[in-house]
Amino acid sequence: MSEPIITLEKLSIGYDNQPVLSDISFSIPRGSFTAILGANGSGKSTLLKTLLGLQPPVVGKIQIAAPAIFGYVPQAIEFDPLLLLTGFEVALMGVYGRVGAGRFVPQNERAFARECLRATGAEEFARKKFSELSGGQKQRVLIARALATQPDVLVLDEPTAGVDAVATHALLEFISRLHAQQKLTILLVTHDLPLVRKHAQQVVWLHQGKVLLGTAAELLSRERMAEIFEMEVG
Amino acid sequence: MESLKEILSPDFLLRNSLYTSMLIGFACPLVGVFLVLRRLVFMGVALPQISSTGVAVALSLPMWLGASQPEHTATTEHALAFAGSTVFSLTAILILAFLERRGRGHPEGRLGAAYVVAAALSILLLSKNRFAEVGWLDLLKGEIITVSNADLLLTAATLAIVLVVLGLFQKELLLVSFDRAMAVTLGKMVFFWDVVLYLLIGLTVSMAVLSVGPLISFGFLLIPPLTAHLFAKNMRQFAVFASLIGGIAAFLGFWIAYQWDCPIGPADVVLLGVIYALGFTVKKLASLFQSKSTG
Repeated sequence: MSEPIITLEKLSIGYDNQPVLSDISFSIPRGSFTAILGANGSGKSTLLKTLLGLQPPVVGKIQIAAPAIFGYVPQAIEFDPLLLLTGFEVALMGVYGRVGAGRFVPQNERAFARECLRATGAEEFARKKFSELSGGQKQRVLIARALATQPDVLVLDEPTAGVDAVATHALLEFISRLHAQQKLTILLVTHDLPLVRKHAQQVVWLHQGKVLLGTAAELLSRERMAEIFEMEVG
Repeated sequence: MESLKEILSPDFLLRNSLYTSMLIGFACPLVGVFLVLRRLVFMGVALPQISSTGVAVALSLPMWLGASQPEHTATTEHALAFAGSTVFSLTAILILAFLERRGRGHPEGRLGAAYVVAAALSILLLSKNRFAEVGWLDLLKGEIITVSNADLLLTAATLAIVLVVLGLFQKELLLVSFDRAMAVTLGKMVFFWDVVLYLLIGLTVSMAVLSVGPLISFGFLLIPPLTAHLFAKNMRQFAVFASLIGGIAAFLGFWIAYQWDCPIGPADVVLLGVIYALGFTVKKLASLFQSKSTG
């Protein structure tokens, strides 16, 4: 296993000093494909927000190997349709981290954003309004935007929510290809077990306030899952 | 058409009022775009009213300090009003920004309460001020007929600063408005950019309230962006269309008011309302026609 890019040490996460999950310790190896699993309200989003620095941990710390840039792919439904942005303008935001305040985006960065749209198959609809794209098309634009940040870690928050089965399959195949070809660290938040079985190497399962860790094969085997759910009943 | 020729003449007596109205008309919608996009329309109504209370407080200061009679000239009165308007609107917007960042409570409720208390306080202050003159009420209603060259310059300079900052930092302001999480992961100082945006809004509102009053300021902040949103295809078009609608309506409103001898501000807002209603109808008819032709 390669060296960790993210390490969580005795971390408690939550809101207003009220922990949702406590005493979490695990690491994410560089170049791995890790899935964060859990039911609604299990703390997936809180964990993700804490990892991204959007909210501080209640206790403990997160070590991130420098330099590590996060390419964040939020859920497409989070975006307000009032904002009149084209797919290209959304993808272009990915390069803003490299362009200083008050400076215009240079041509080479604009070309790079276009290249990212091409790589995700989003180029043909990049001139349309983002709010008018389908769920799958929006996700491709958002992945292009995340790639435009030139990330070390690609963080995807339920990218298949509101996306049909065909588009879901295509999206996950694409993310897997990215992982294999660019050696990107992938952190995928989902509650879709078949997708996790197929694509993830490591699983972080948030269940009943506990954090279960293991490979997809170990944790998602029939026997282990029965054990986990018996634990819940018992 | 005679009145139009008169208005366009360089020797027109009220030319500074016209220029000021048009400056406000062009500039207010540019910051109004952000209020609409960030769903802060209530702030658009509360802030001008708070700014207006600042004017009333500033104009009451000489009496509170023991002045036995109004010694101030129109220039000092305007300077006092400008200071009161700016201090109140900037303070209010920074407090509201801080509360919004904490993300607790009811933002709409806070804005509603701020609006109604500010409105009531303005009335109280004016009613208890023995120096209150018709001119003061005009100032609060935005019925400034005579605008000095210095006032016009001050308005133009302030609005120019707003425009330059908006233009230079549009990508930062857009990013924090569109996706705060992304802005944080890119290492942008979200709170700082929020404050910059709010200061720009506060500054524009202060100038607008002094020139056209709180109600008309709200009209210019809100209606042109709503109309532009019906037709714009991207953010640039949204901002440009909104600004043009505001500027042109300010000119036409002034002309109508001059022609029919009615108050300028209300004429502007009614005209903006008519433009919005027309735009809405055209948009609805166009989509109806489109759906019929494709269906």
